[in-house]
This record gives sequence, structure tokens and C-alpha cells, in this order.
Amino acid sequence: MPAPQSIEWNTLLGDNARTGGQGVRTIQAPKQAKWQLRVGRSIRSAPVLRNDTLLVASVDGALHAIDVQLGRSRWQFQAAGKIHGTPALAADLILFGCDDGKMYAVYGDSGKKAWECVTGAEVWTSPSIRNGTAYFGSADENFYALDAATGSVRWKRALGGRIYSTAYVSEKNIYVGCGDGKIYSLDLQSGNVAWSIATGNGVDSSPAVDGNTVLIGSEDFFVYALDADTGAIRWKYETGLGILSSPSVHEGLAVIGSKDGFLYALEVNSGKVRWKAQAGEVVTAPPVFATGIVCIQAAGLIAFDIATGKMIWRAGLGGSVQSAPVLTGSNIYLTGLDGEVYALQ
Amino acid sequence: MDRRTFVKSTLLGSSSLFLKVDTTVEADVPTPQAPAVEVRGRNLAKPSPLGMPGLYPGRVVQVSSPNAIVANRVSQPVVARMIERGMKELTGESSLRAAWSKFIEPSDVVGIKINPSGAPACCSSPEIIREIVNGLEAAGVPRKNIIVWDRYAYEIDIGSYQSLLPPGIQIIGIEDGVGDVSGYDLSVFCDVNFFGEWETRSYMANVAANTVTKIINIPTTKDHSASGVTGCLKNLGYGAFNNVARSHRAPISFTNPLIGLMCSAEPLRSKSVLHIMDGMRLVWHGGPLTQVQDFIEQTGVLYIGTDPVAMDTVELDAIEAKRREKGAPSLWTHDSKTITMNSDEFFHDPVKNLFYRQPGHIAAAGKLGLGTSDPKQIVRRNIQVG
Repeated sequence: MPAPQSIEWNTLLGDNARTGGQGVRTIQAPKQAKWQLRVGRSIRSAPVLRNDTLLVASVDGALHAIDVQLGRSRWQFQAAGKIHGTPALAADLILFGCDDGKMYAVYGDSGKKAWECVTGAEVWTSPSIRNGTAYFGSADENFYALDAATGSVRWKRALGGRIYSTAYVSEKNIYVGCGDGKIYSLDLQSGNVAWSIATGNGVDSSPAVDGNTVLIGSEDFFVYALDADTGAIRWKYETGLGILSSPSVHEGLAVIGSKDGFLYALEVNSGKVRWKAQAGEVVTAPPVFATGIVCIQAAGLIAFDIATGKMIWRAGLGGSVQSAPVLTGSNIYLTGLDGEVYALQ
Repeated sequence: MDRRTFVKSTLLGSSSLFLKVDTTVEADVPTPQAPAVEVRGRNLAKPSPLGMPGLYPGRVVQVSSPNAIVANRVSQPVVARMIERGMKELTGESSLRAAWSKFIEPSDVVGIKINPSGAPACCSSPEIIREIVNGLEAAGVPRKNIIVWDRYAYEIDIGSYQSLLPPGIQIIGIEDGVGDVSGYDLSVFCDVNFFGEWETRSYMANVAANTVTKIINIPTTKDHSASGVTGCLKNLGYGAFNNVARSHRAPISFTNPLIGLMCSAEPLRSKSVLHIMDGMRLVWHGGPLTQVQDFIEQTGVLYIGTDPVAMDTVELDAIEAKRREKGAPSLWTHDSKTITMNSDEFFHDPVKNLFYRQPGHIAAAGKLGLGTSDPKQIVRRNIQVG
């Protein structure tokens, strides 16, 4: 049996940089399923990985820790409500939001609850962890900063709508979309609004940052590139329908899906389309980069050539609304809308 | 085409009906006789006069605007004007608040039944729902007592309704996966065995049976491969009961009579007081799930009424007219040459279909007393909004 891989895939799209992984890894077309495990009626979030444990939240309120070597459950934690958000790792804890309005933290080794923090409505966003603080938005229209070790609230800031966008956290600022149609930049220490800009409809998409440019999609059909300091629009690109997908960025290229069924590769500096490719009838999940390819879950898992947008391979499993695969180099871990977890090799 | 539908009912107890409906259609391929359906509704002391066909039987207000959709986006201000004009026309009231108050009291818990299937290409527009929320607030209903719901949670997710609708209202997707009956009331059901299926009951959703006191129905204007069209009746019946796909097994469809029977079950019938059909887009082939834009027209229309049968009759006419214009066969066609088992062929060829459609479900619902299907008895009021 091969040794467990030493890898952490901390949060949605791998790490807080939204590159789609901790360093882009070589990945080949999957040949077979290593294992398959059904963990619930449905999964709407993405898995995360710590060493040889895959963490998967199912909609029916359970957080599952799965041994990736055996494909068996190590433990599971049952929350009081449904779970729609991707978990995040913070030191020895696993944090995740819940429809009961709480942010939960459980110990990674045992699955026992460490703390919980109550918000006023469901939490579908994934917490972004930086320097011991967990940052996330809630459908109660507030954005929260919690001590990740204790769950105590450091600050909270009322925005203008429900928040379903997972925040990007930089050294000084937080960037997040909001149901009021605005994209906000908040001061990391105080939560004060540094700037906000309005789009034409709600913003569920989660931002990525490349250099000094914030990239994000809106339900108004546009992909926005904003100056990270001022919020000034550098460019915007119109897709065919609303955007629920989130961008991943790599070497000056932002890739994002649209409900029009296409995956768009846009040059960060100019907004120029390098390619667009049909990925399904509707694309709402975020893409993930690997060496030379970008993967997206739509009707199945599809890999496109980064340079050309040509489809390289397709695996007909893993139908998704918001899930994204974990790519480790030798394995692909993905979850499906139907509650299945797959390890492909 | 001559359609003969007979309803025979036998009252068994106060709340249980065994209904056998003759669904025979004259065609080269007749539909098999549907088995009897046991409808176990809630026993109401007195059905609400607001229930279907409601305050305005046979009346359909059609509001159109060439500016309702701009650059493939539904215009919020134009939709606001369309709903205001339509509601006033339907009720004869001079204020929007008075118009909404015809149906809604401040103490009501109001369910807004959307149709997210087919999102994002054609689904209940968030812009329309926002205006309905505004109307309900004008009538005195607090947001916490407004519930937007449908059966399939993931379809609501794809439609992004959570972020696009006003804060404070509840958004409920009843089912999170196959076999999830946790959101259903097991005492209210329709029981029938169509094809030897292992589960012969379809249960009414808790939100409809128990949670809300009034329902506002927001169907879309779409062809439906099994029922002919999906409008007020289909969105309500098959959106309030579970386990409904079993009513059609290619190429046979028993959507007639099941759709109407489900809509007749209490308390669904009494609670459903208003229907606002989203005709911003019209799907004339490939429904209900198509994303193929070739079959989706941007029509910019709203239909408003309390009589779901009359409204669906008008919808059926509109889709039939569009299909004639496009050279597609009638929804009434029962011709074995049009049937395909290849879904890809169905989605891209308007001549082909997976089932023998059953648009007769509308008239059958009329026979159950849910409304008026005779075009001569339907009063249509057409309004143009700039």
C-alpha cells in the first residue's frame, strides 16, 4: 500500500489564493476508480484534504472524514442543519457553515465539536482562514471575523444583502460578493468597508485575486476585474447568462464558468478571451488548475487544455452544482450531487 | 381533435376519493386507460371560496411588453409595471395594495410556488418574485411569513434564488436527493399504480399541506414532453406532490389525469388563490428542461388569474400557435413516428418526443371543477405596457 500523501487542500479551490491548488500538479486522465463511497443523499460542496483524510460535507448535515487509502469513514460529525458550504482547515480544526445559522469547528483527529458560533441565518460560504482568524459571510447579511481557535467574534459587519460568496482574504483586505449586487472590500482588522462597487444583479461568485486585480462573476452575466485598492473596474466581460461559478487564476489567466454552459479563459491584464469552451448545459462550479489542464465539474468531470480550451478527457461522474475536485497528482477526489464520493487514479 | 374525458367518482368517506378518468384520445396510438387514483386529501370543513378556480373563474389577464426583456435580461421596472397593471385589471381595484388584499391577509403565511426546473434558460424569474414580495408586503405580510419553495433544492441553487431574492424571506427546497420524503405529509397523498412501481403513493409537501395558509403559483410557459404543457396545473400538482415522474414511462403518459387530481386535493386546492404565469420566455419544444435557445422565444408576457384551467388553456393555445409557426407537430399528436427513445434527438428535433403528450390534462382538470377550459367561456383581457 503506498504511503499516505503529504498534502493539504485546505479550502475551496485548494488554498486561500484560489489558484485551484497548492501548486499546480501534474494530473493524468483517470483510468479507474480506486474507491467509491456514498455518504448521503446529496453533496453540494467541495471536498478538502488533509494528508490521508478527505473531508466531505453532505447536505443532510454530516461532516465525513474518509480514509483515502481505504475509502472508509474514520468518523462523522452530525450538525443540526443542512450543509451547503465547503469545509476549511484551521490548525487542528475543521470549520464549516450550516443551515442552522452556525459556524462549527470540530477536531480533525476525532470529529468532536470544539466550538460553534451562531449567526442569524444559514451559512453557505466557506470560511477563509488567515493568521488564526476565520472570515465568512452569512445569509443574515453580516460578514464575520472569528477567532478560529475559540469561535469568539472579533468583529462583524452588516452588508446590504445575503452573502453566499466565499471571501478572498489578503494581507490587508477582504474581498467578497453580496446578494445586494455589490462587491465589497473590507479592512481586515476592523471590517470597515474600504470600497464597494455595484453590479447589475446578485453576486454569489467567490473572488480570486491576481496581483492587484480582483476577479469575480455576477448574476448580471459579467466577469469583473477590479482594482484591488479602489474597486475601479479595469475591465468587464459579458458571458451569455448569469455567473454562479467562481474564477480560478494561474499565470495571468482567469478561468470561470457561466450558466450559459461555457468555460471562459480570460487574460487577467486585458480581459481578452483566450478561449471559451462548452462544458455542459449549465456551469455553476469553480474550475481547478493542474499542469497544462483546467478541470471543471459540470455534467461530469471534464479536463480542458489550458492553452487552447480543447477538451482532453471527460469522466462521466460527479454531477455538481458547486463542487470542485481535489487533485493530488496521483489521485482525483470528487463528490457528486447524488451523494457519492469518488477516488479516481 | 376530439377529446373525451369523463370523470367518475365515488365518495369513500369524507376525504378519500377514488377517481377513474377516461383518458382515451382519438389517434393512431390510443392512450391506455388510466387506473383509478385514490386521492386522500385533508378533510376541510368548508373549502375556501378563494381556492381554485377562485374569485375570477374564466378570467385571464394577459399583460405584454416589448421592453420586458432587454439583452436577455428581465427588466425589473417593466415587470413591476406589468404586475401592477395586471393585478388592478384582474381585481378592478385602483390600488396595488387593494388588489393584493383581495387574496391575502396580513396574518397569512404565503407560499410562492416557483418553477426552477429548466433554470437558467427558462424558470420563474426572480424579478417577478421580487415584485410579488413587494405586493405581499403592501398587503401587510411580513417577509418572515413569505416562503418561496419548490421540490428540488439543487434546481433552486442553480437558479441562484437565494441571493437574488430579498433578505428575510424563506427559501425552501423540499428534496435534497432521491427518496427524501422528510419534507412530505404522509397523511395527504394520491395512491395509484400505473406501471407496477414499488411506491404507489405521492405525498403532499408539508409546506403546502401544513405551513402556508395561501399559495401564489408562478409557473412558466413551457412545452412538456409528457403533459403537453407545464403551466399552472402542472407546476402546482407535480410541484406539491412527490414521486410524480412515475406517471410517465416512455412513451405512455398518465399525467392526465394525475395532474388535475393532485390539484383537486385539499388543502392544495383551497390555498391556491392566485396564479401569475411567467411568460417572459416561451419554450415551444424540449420542455421542461431544455437549454436549447432555438426553442425558446422571448415573449415578454405575464398571465394573471385565479383560474388555472383557463390560464393553461390560453398557454396551450400560445404554444400550439408557436409550434404551428415553426412547423412542429401539434402537442395533441399521437403518432408513433414522432416517438424517440433518444433524448438527444428529442432535445434537438421539434418533431420528436419521448412520450405521447397529454394536454388533455387541462380539460380533465376543468371537469374536476378547477376551472374553465372552454375557450368560449374564457374572458381574455389584453394589456400592453410600454
